[in-house]
Amino acid sequence: MAGNRKFGDRIRSLREAKKKEDPAFSLRKFAQAVGISPTFLSKVEKGEFAPPAPERIKKMAELLGVDADELLALANKMDPDLSDIIKDQPKAMADFLRTARDTGLTVEDLRAITEKMRRQND
Amino acid sequence: MIDVKFIPETHIERAAIELMAAYGQKYGDVAGPPIPAEEILECHLELSLGFDDLAKRFGEPGILGATWIEDKNVLIDQSLDPAENPRIEGRYRFTVAHEVGHWVLHRHQLVAARSAPLLNKTPEPSIICRATAKKRPIESQADRFAGYLLMPEEMVRRHWTDTNGSQSPYVAQDEIAQLAAQLNLAKDDQPTVGVSKRMAGAFHVSGQAMQIRLINLGLILTKKPPPSLFA
Repeated sequence: MAGNRKFGDRIRSLREAKKKEDPAFSLRKFAQAVGISPTFLSKVEKGEFAPPAPERIKKMAELLGVDADELLALANKMDPDLSDIIKDQPKAMADFLRTARDTGLTVEDLRAITEKMRRQND
Repeated sequence: MIDVKFIPETHIERAAIELMAAYGQKYGDVAGPPIPAEEILECHLELSLGFDDLAKRFGEPGILGATWIEDKNVLIDQSLDPAENPRIEGRYRFTVAHEVGHWVLHRHQLVAARSAPLLNKTPEPSIICRATAKKRPIESQADRFAGYLLMPEEMVRRHWTDTNGSQSPYVAQDEIAQLAAQLNLAKDDQPTVGVSKRMAGAFHVSGQAMQIRLINLGLILTKKPPPSLFA
């Protein structure tokens, strides 16, 4: 199983920073809270095993207090929510995403559009 | 391999008690068993704990743990992962406490004894701990430290009184003989008696480790005491 060193290093450094203050971030307790075995977590952190499933990564992000999308991106995984969103509107949503990509929108453009849509929705 | 200095028994026990007290000051007193061995290692001493297939890594079977002092890194053999094998919890915790023992008692000697690692070579661990019956002094010191850390005298005695109603010892000679016959044990194998198993459950240690501690504290007697002259 190919590992992911960047993801492992990130999880390990976040967890090690937290564990100094809170024993809930020990290897075993954190693994238990995420729903994986300590051996598996240990090997993921060392970059020997591939990151766990997206749901577990989201749980890690929640416990470590970081953005789930950042960890999912490091793990080269997609939030299952996103595939559900596309499945709900397979044609329109796929068209929307492809158009956004093909029109060459920058990250700033995407953020501005997202913010505008959010405001309209409020 | 280094020849470790002799450390008096009282120093080993005091080191374990002081470590517990320092942990308690930072994270809150440990009011009762089980002793948080992993948290002491990972949070208080700030060592990294991990699991690995140590037989594969070092090319020999029977390795339980290894510590890299300079890297502040401890690896435990994955066969001891308690999430994969809950029955081995006691042995796992004892191994963790044993590695804590090396850190507390031996780290300065181990660092001093180490020759500079070759460039571009993964450093060898400062110490590798094997499951062998005959142990070198450095290993038996770490074992004794683990016993004191996981089963502090005051806590064991309090639990004994809560369970048995007094500090009176239990004469286990008959139960040991009966169990040895039932289990068809060799002459030198000592079976674990009921009270050791029950106490072991509370302290999350093996029945065997608890029995050794109870015998050392004089709470289990393996032979009937001679009649008292004053009886």
